[in-house]
Amino acid sequence: MEEQLAELTAQVAALKGGGATTNTMFAEMFYYLTIPLMIIIHAGFLAYEMGSSRMKNVLSSGVKNILAFAFMIPTFYFFGWWVYWGFPTGLTLSAGEAGISGAAYASSIAFGWGESAQYMGPNIADNASGVFFGAFALFAATTASIMSGAVIERIQTVGFVILAIVLGSFAWVVAAAWGWHADGWLVTKFGVHDFGAAGLVHAVAGFFALGVLINLGPRIGKFNADGSANHIAGHNMPLTVVGLMLIIVGFWGFLMACVIVPGEAWSWFGDKFATIYGTPITLSALSFNILMAVAGGIIGAWIWTKDPFWMMSGALAGIISTASGLDIYFPALAFVIAFSAGIIVAPAAAWLERRGIDDAVGAVTVHGTIGLYGVVMLGVFASGYPALQGEGVATISLFGQIVGAVVFFLCGFVPGYVVSYILKGMGMLRVPEGAEIAGMDTVKIPAQGYPEGIPTSPAPAE
Amino acid sequence: MGFPYDEANWAVVDGAMYMGHGSIMPGVYTLIAAVICVAVLFIGHKSEAEKSAKH
Repeated sequence: MEEQLAELTAQVAALKGGGATTNTMFAEMFYYLTIPLMIIIHAGFLAYEMGSSRMKNVLSSGVKNILAFAFMIPTFYFFGWWVYWGFPTGLTLSAGEAGISGAAYASSIAFGWGESAQYMGPNIADNASGVFFGAFALFAATTASIMSGAVIERIQTVGFVILAIVLGSFAWVVAAAWGWHADGWLVTKFGVHDFGAAGLVHAVAGFFALGVLINLGPRIGKFNADGSANHIAGHNMPLTVVGLMLIIVGFWGFLMACVIVPGEAWSWFGDKFATIYGTPITLSALSFNILMAVAGGIIGAWIWTKDPFWMMSGALAGIISTASGLDIYFPALAFVIAFSAGIIVAPAAAWLERRGIDDAVGAVTVHGTIGLYGVVMLGVFASGYPALQGEGVATISLFGQIVGAVVFFLCGFVPGYVVSYILKGMGMLRVPEGAEIAGMDTVKIPAQGYPEGIPTSPAPAE
Repeated sequence: MGFPYDEANWAVVDGAMYMGHGSIMPGVYTLIAAVICVAVLFIGHKSEAEKSAKH
């Protein structure tokens, strides 16, 4: 009998060990797969802004976008990851109640030197740090890509890269620490809920771009002497539209990476997915709501514009307008909110243009304005929901969401305006007029986008 | 630099396994990588400014 019990105990222990191993491998694979999916977002932005550029600037727009990605990863490694863990409680950098924030904690896990280096490189006992870092670094790259499209055809490459670093490895990370972390003061004090980062990624990046655009100025020929605007068509609308669709594909990885898997030491639950706030979520909820939001945004934009560019921008606006509450919206409500976002996105962009802002791809409106719209809409519909896991936690409210929206706006606009103002003063923001007129590919790219032009196809075989 | 454990045997590895673990080298590599990024931006800006000035 004792022998049988001992054998059974050993079998149970082996099963538990096997289950734990499977869970750890699943968790690591889950986040690992979000990384290539989010790289598709970057591929989409690359196609989107190259297509939106005139032929004389097509490659320089691509170079700028690729460099943003390349500089984002190491700078996020050097200090962006530290900012996320260091800043949640505010500028004091003190530790929060959850015990996973503050300068001391950040320094123990997020620096590439000393004892913390063990969490920033290959470690057989750590299956989480690298994939979490990778997912967050790709969030950072997304913010830089959002800004990248708005400033095409006249910004200096290095000035742009510096702005991308400030946005991707600092500005949005501070917003994420405050509003997307269990110790974030916006969450613990105001009940801010922004599951899919409508405010802390999209609005921050969109309004950072607005701050830059004010100092950068419009492209030559965009506005007439009386202030009226001319449409500067990109050279390849199909490329732009396909790029927008790729961004939507990548969003599935982006939103997947916003989910905390169960069963690990760092998980919220042993048996179910959670949001970053520790509130329950299912991937089915995401599936319902993302699809309905994409559809609602497209239909809303189609009613107003009939333009494929704005229809696909409407799809983005649909996701962004519902991103804060994709975990708890009812699908039909997500559709309605996304539909309304699709309707307002093109007029909102036209309103901005009438104020002399030359946003070449509508990034300020699609990501900035609609991002804040989404944050506030959640306050309208989800008031009373607990914002965090636990007893006596703050609840979601319209007031809290408005506070969050204001903070996200400031986290984007202020650094975007200030840093671009400094770069302008240093002569590092805008290319000289002669270079802009000649086309930036001619000035600095040792390759041609279309060496044979875009000729008519030869006749088909008999 | 060598294997970061006393015995050259994967069976004893129970944590960090990158080259230079336990030494100052990760910090040195991090510093070099950061310096490369800054230097490339500096050189890149100088090069681009010279090309733009011709137009």
